[in-house]
Amino acid sequence: MMDYRNEPHGLFFMIDNKSFYASVESVARGLNPLRSVIVVMSEADNTGSGLVLAASPMAKKLFGISNVSRQYEVPDDPRILVVPPRMNLYIQENLKINKIFREYVADDDLFPYSIDESILDMTKSWRLFGKTPESVARRIQLRIRREMGLYTTVGIGENPVQAKLALDLQAKHDHELIGRLTYETFPQYIWPITDLEKVWSIGRRTAAHLQRLGIHSMRDLAMVDPYALRAEMGLIGTQLFALAWGIDRSQLRQLRPAKEKSWSNSQVLPRDYQVQQEIELVIREIAQQTTSRMRHHHQQAGCVSLGIGFARAGEADDGRSGFHHSCRLDPTDNAQTIAATLLRLFRQHWEGQAIRNISVGLSRLNTSRGLQLDIFQDPHRQIKDERFDRVIDELRDRFGKTAVIPASSLMPGGTMLRRAALVGGHNGGNSFD
Amino acid sequence: MGGIALIEAQQEAELIYSRIVPLFTAQWHCQYRIDVVNDQYGQTFNFFMGIKRQNHRERSIPLHTLRTTDLAVLERVIVALQQQTQLSLNFVDFGHVRWPVSQRWIH
Repeated sequence: MMDYRNEPHGLFFMIDNKSFYASVESVARGLNPLRSVIVVMSEADNTGSGLVLAASPMAKKLFGISNVSRQYEVPDDPRILVVPPRMNLYIQENLKINKIFREYVADDDLFPYSIDESILDMTKSWRLFGKTPESVARRIQLRIRREMGLYTTVGIGENPVQAKLALDLQAKHDHELIGRLTYETFPQYIWPITDLEKVWSIGRRTAAHLQRLGIHSMRDLAMVDPYALRAEMGLIGTQLFALAWGIDRSQLRQLRPAKEKSWSNSQVLPRDYQVQQEIELVIREIAQQTTSRMRHHHQQAGCVSLGIGFARAGEADDGRSGFHHSCRLDPTDNAQTIAATLLRLFRQHWEGQAIRNISVGLSRLNTSRGLQLDIFQDPHRQIKDERFDRVIDELRDRFGKTAVIPASSLMPGGTMLRRAALVGGHNGGNSFD
Repeated sequence: MGGIALIEAQQEAELIYSRIVPLFTAQWHCQYRIDVVNDQYGQTFNFFMGIKRQNHRERSIPLHTLRTTDLAVLERVIVALQQQTQLSLNFVDFGHVRWPVSQRWIH
């Protein structure tokens, strides 16, 4: 057996909202989130016929609708209620929920993990709220149900990874919606699992790799020689071995967000783009937007990269599915210079394929310390260009992203205007609610 | 005070109506309905347009949210809205209560 004495023994809750978007929409309509048959469908330009962002538990159960189903996969049944997404509303609701969590842990012990999941380090505070961890979890669940109408699922563990697995593998099937794992019970509940992809952090490729090594269950993974696994899979091997034993030494409080080393933006186009002018227009729009984000952080880029994904029609006659190229340049935060460099890259490598995906990246960043004049160009022009960008930024900060736009964005193919109202690529909801 | 609230009710109703117009396409075998929800959790009144075509999925599109729990305000908005549209109104989660001014049952 493993010696767990030196491992961290805390108490962590991982709390998520059951079908969050669909539940929020149910409550807003006076429906019970566990009984309603509701599907949140995004009909943004680039989702094709429409994409299911969330389905209520009943919609999943009765009609087998899963997230990211396509519109045509959802049966045309009058019992199903289809609603558009309101991303801004979900963000607000998430903030409200985290505010409730703050009454149970110190601010430093709350770690929002995604739009509907948070990790609470209850180690120091849980005894204030109940006799057992389960009763504290129940108390938080009831509170959120009472104040917001939403159902939450709670995974409890001695460290974050146990809490996450308890949430994914136990709580979701528990009728109280609570699951709990400890170092002691971990082998009993986790080792029998043979469908490795179900386990957090194991994806399709990793699962296939493990299968090739003769590892077909979590027990197999726990019994493997960790040094051999490391030699075969690298650092990931060690991590997987720790996972199989429910070990997680991460100190959430010491986690720092990765230092931002690049800025990038990508988008899926609403249709296949084939006309050079239209493609270049979108590249220019994305360049503008990314550069402006970078400028807000007072940085300049010394390297730009362009990624192009071909449409399925374009792949067939070529074999490649796209290309990705980058290019150095003198550090700049000038949108025109960056756009021009990107267009040059594009023209060098594009051979007329239909395109569905464009990404732009800015890297090799340094802090902008004023303008470095180029002796080969008119200095007044250079200063003017610089000031021009700043004025545009200021106008957009004060009056919104669409306050000033290049006239070219009104030409066929431009996506900027329609995307400006989206949040995370989906409808944000009515703007004057 | 009453005057200001009245103007607001008018504006709110117009906003709601302006969002109804593009959605109401008057198709055959299609029911249109305005849902007014008393959202006790959010402490708001939520407006949705319900569109139900025979044998098809039902759609529900958010129109507006009134950030108040005052039935008198809602009553004024509803009265103003009814001057613009005759679509049927469906009141959800109001319980058995009367409108403060007209004293009719809310249903």
